[in-house]
Amino acid sequence: MSQDTIARLKENVIQGRKTKDDEGVDDSLSGTPGVLELTRLALEEKVSPDIIVNHGLTAGMQVVGDKFATKEYFIPDMLASAEAVGEATAILKPYLEASNSEIKGKFTIATVKGDIHDIGKNIVATLLRGAGYEVVDLGINVPTEKIVQMVRENKPDFLGLSALLTTTMLAMGEVVRELEASGLRDKVKVLIGGAAVSDEYAQEIGADAYCVDGFHAIKMVDTFQQRKL
Amino acid sequence: MLIIGENINASTRAVAEAITTRNQEFVTELAQAEVAAGADFIDVNVGAGSSSSQDEARAMKWLVAVVQQATDKPLVIDSDCPEVIRAALNKYQGKRLIINSVTAEPQRLEAVAPLAAEWGSGLVALAMGTGGIPNSVEQRLDACEWIMTQLTRLGIKPEQIYFDPLVLPVAVDSKQALVTLRTIEQIKSRYPGAKTVIGLSNISYGLPKRKLINRTFLVMAAYAGLDAVIINPLDAKAMSLIKAADMLIGKGSRGYTRAYRAGAIVD
Repeated sequence: MSQDTIARLKENVIQGRKTKDDEGVDDSLSGTPGVLELTRLALEEKVSPDIIVNHGLTAGMQVVGDKFATKEYFIPDMLASAEAVGEATAILKPYLEASNSEIKGKFTIATVKGDIHDIGKNIVATLLRGAGYEVVDLGINVPTEKIVQMVRENKPDFLGLSALLTTTMLAMGEVVRELEASGLRDKVKVLIGGAAVSDEYAQEIGADAYCVDGFHAIKMVDTFQQRKL
Repeated sequence: MLIIGENINASTRAVAEAITTRNQEFVTELAQAEVAAGADFIDVNVGAGSSSSQDEARAMKWLVAVVQQATDKPLVIDSDCPEVIRAALNKYQGKRLIINSVTAEPQRLEAVAPLAAEWGSGLVALAMGTGGIPNSVEQRLDACEWIMTQLTRLGIKPEQIYFDPLVLPVAVDSKQALVTLRTIEQIKSRYPGAKTVIGLSNISYGLPKRKLINRTFLVMAAYAGLDAVIINPLDAKAMSLIKAADMLIGKGSRGYTRAYRAGAIVD
């Protein structure tokens, strides 16, 4: 029974159905329980939270990522899945903590000083939450000092910086330099993204990675996490 | 509806290159194509950030001279940098033009709005402040109210103002198209003399068949009271929809039949 629940959970993640009232990608699951109902059901069936996350939620999101890459899915489809998974993760959080399971890392994200674009940043934040990371979103036009202070006090594993403009991307370099000056550079992996930046720019300013989009960001942070273990 | 041709914008790679290499022929052809397709104004934008503001100002002066040589249509001077706008104005021939843009950010407004006052030009005002684009109708209207007060103080008449209610991708937030449409309605009822303008393409970001979404939104915005649109005038279907929509919302039928006889209506 519980195996069936996890398979259905994964299928509902792929469909982006948060609850039984959601339409999903097609109407094949109409009226049946969605991600949140199935997550609660799996807990009642005493499925370990690890299994729920890895075989249900994350496995489903991987399929969503593939479908997004091949342009079968578009932003609304991907966001529906990620939001459902994000809420399911919130339900699971106390169980994960109680069972001493490995909670994925902490991620702090911000659009840098001078830049007020937040669409890409918000999508990345939603996807990372969907992938099980604890995301703190500092918002837009965030001063370098505030970012450094956040790193110092909250000790995130990852710092994601976003900028759309060639003028504002310079602030990313400033953040990296300030982290170095404060002796915090080796405490956090810095990932950058946005229309203006590139792999070359990431190397130039000494960031740890450039991410093309949210799914790429998940791949990068997962890789960094695995290296740590 | 007033058509502002958007094609001469350095966010397009080919245009950026033409500006950098000072390719007069390329820009001339682009401007003339926009005019032939029915543009009332030609927007000119040299981009931002790739170079210093002096370089941008020089590029803008060149661009204004070239486009004005190519056509008699008035220009929309499009830059978020006051020095670049000032450079364009120094080069500008004639009196009719629109400056694009100010926001509810005091520094930018104080630098740019006096130029619009001095020239008696149109002025695009974005419904946002320093905190980015607000999500709600109310916050966007708050930005408009603040801007209206400041512009009135500087001697700018409501008729000169083109409020841009701003457009966010509907793929990311399904209510955003309605937020823009309701903001247009509210601006038109609060400030009867003022005009509204939008750029379309943001609405369809992240979705397939974007032109279909842009065109549908355009028709809805026309009904909501939109006065001007920043658009690719070479999109003949969108231009035809504007003519049909203008007719259907009571702006008269002759514009439609005239466009039809000119071969400009496609279905």
